Amino acid sequence: MTSFSYPAHPDPVRADLAEAHRRAWRHVAGPGTWLTGAERVAVADETRRARDCGSCRERKQALSPFAVQGEHDHGAALPETLVDLVHRITTDAARLSESWYRQLLEAGLSAEVYVEALGVAVITISVDRFHHALGLPLEPLPEAIAGDPSGERPDDLTEGEAWVPMRESRKLGKEMGFPPGPVPYVIRALSLVPAELRAWKALSDAQYLSFDEMRSFDSNRALDRSQIELVAGRVSALNECFY
Amino acid sequence: MLRASIEFSGEEADLSGIADGAKAGDAGIEHGERLTAFADAAVASDAASLATARDALRQAAGSAVVVDAAGVIGNFERMVRIADGTGIPLDGLVTAMSSDIREELGLEGFESRRLARSAGLAGLLGPALRRVVLPVLRMAGRRKRSGA
Repeated sequence: MTSFSYPAHPDPVRADLAEAHRRAWRHVAGPGTWLTGAERVAVADETRRARDCGSCRERKQALSPFAVQGEHDHGAALPETLVDLVHRITTDAARLSESWYRQLLEAGLSAEVYVEALGVAVITISVDRFHHALGLPLEPLPEAIAGDPSGERPDDLTEGEAWVPMRESRKLGKEMGFPPGPVPYVIRALSLVPAELRAWKALSDAQYLSFDEMRSFDSNRALDRSQIELVAGRVSALNECFY
Repeated sequence: MLRASIEFSGEEADLSGIADGAKAGDAGIEHGERLTAFADAAVASDAASLATARDALRQAAGSAVVVDAAGVIGNFERMVRIADGTGIPLDGLVTAMSSDIREELGLEGFESRRLARSAGLAGLLGPALRRVVLPVLRMAGRRKRSGA
């Protein structure tokens, strides 16, 4: 397993952050809920290929991302639907549409696999972007861990609030220790695949803030809360994300 | 969250640089200009400008700030894709609390906003909710800072 042994200079990385990245890589490598470890590592690999994909570059420049036909520059391990999902999420996420999502489902991709692959892709993008920001080389992808996917599927799913099914707000909130009231959509977004939601939270606690810190406006970081939210807001705006 | 944290901190901030890089200054936040420049360079793929922005931030605020900012950048590269990739709407409370500032900053014009589900009529409650919640946040921040 790779180690994320960050250099001490010039920017020493907090131990909890390094550990969160190690944990994230173990999560990517292991058998998932609907995908094997090998498939999950292939998803991670595909996010890196997407950055150099000629077809994605062309699409990004086009007025409509669906106007450009042509195959992605991709590896051999994943079906076309997953390749398209990973490439578009990586390179042009702000212009994804529900009709595109529905087309993937019609082409045979399940909502569960969609959400799991999305979860793995965004972990990879997140950890890679951290390295990029600090001028560090990318961590080698982990070796896949053998084993069968768990098939865990929540029994309290609701449809119609987002493109993907999500867990019912009240029950999820109670389990996650939220105060009464609706759980934010961005937390429910991956809840169709609970293991991806747990991984999302673990990484977010280290890279951003824990739920308690979010609520209390406290920060035990070198950045104060307004500085954290300024960076968060700017990154969201640069990605043209409305959320 | 930025607006809420600013109200809580009691700071005066100009958020116009969030969506419009040309207007990005300190935003009234300590090291705001350097943090924004670091985020801009990290999201773009220009290694030279990134190194310059990183060095400037380190010199002004220290290595720990650079690392924390890199963590937030990594985190929100993930968050935006989760939001965009699952088609979640804006939460009702967020819509209500931020409709004025979202309009002002042009966030409502983003393509991703058009493509996501609508959160309903929450925006109509915005002015009333803001009149109640923002002063409460300011008061809570004052009490915390004074140790009460």
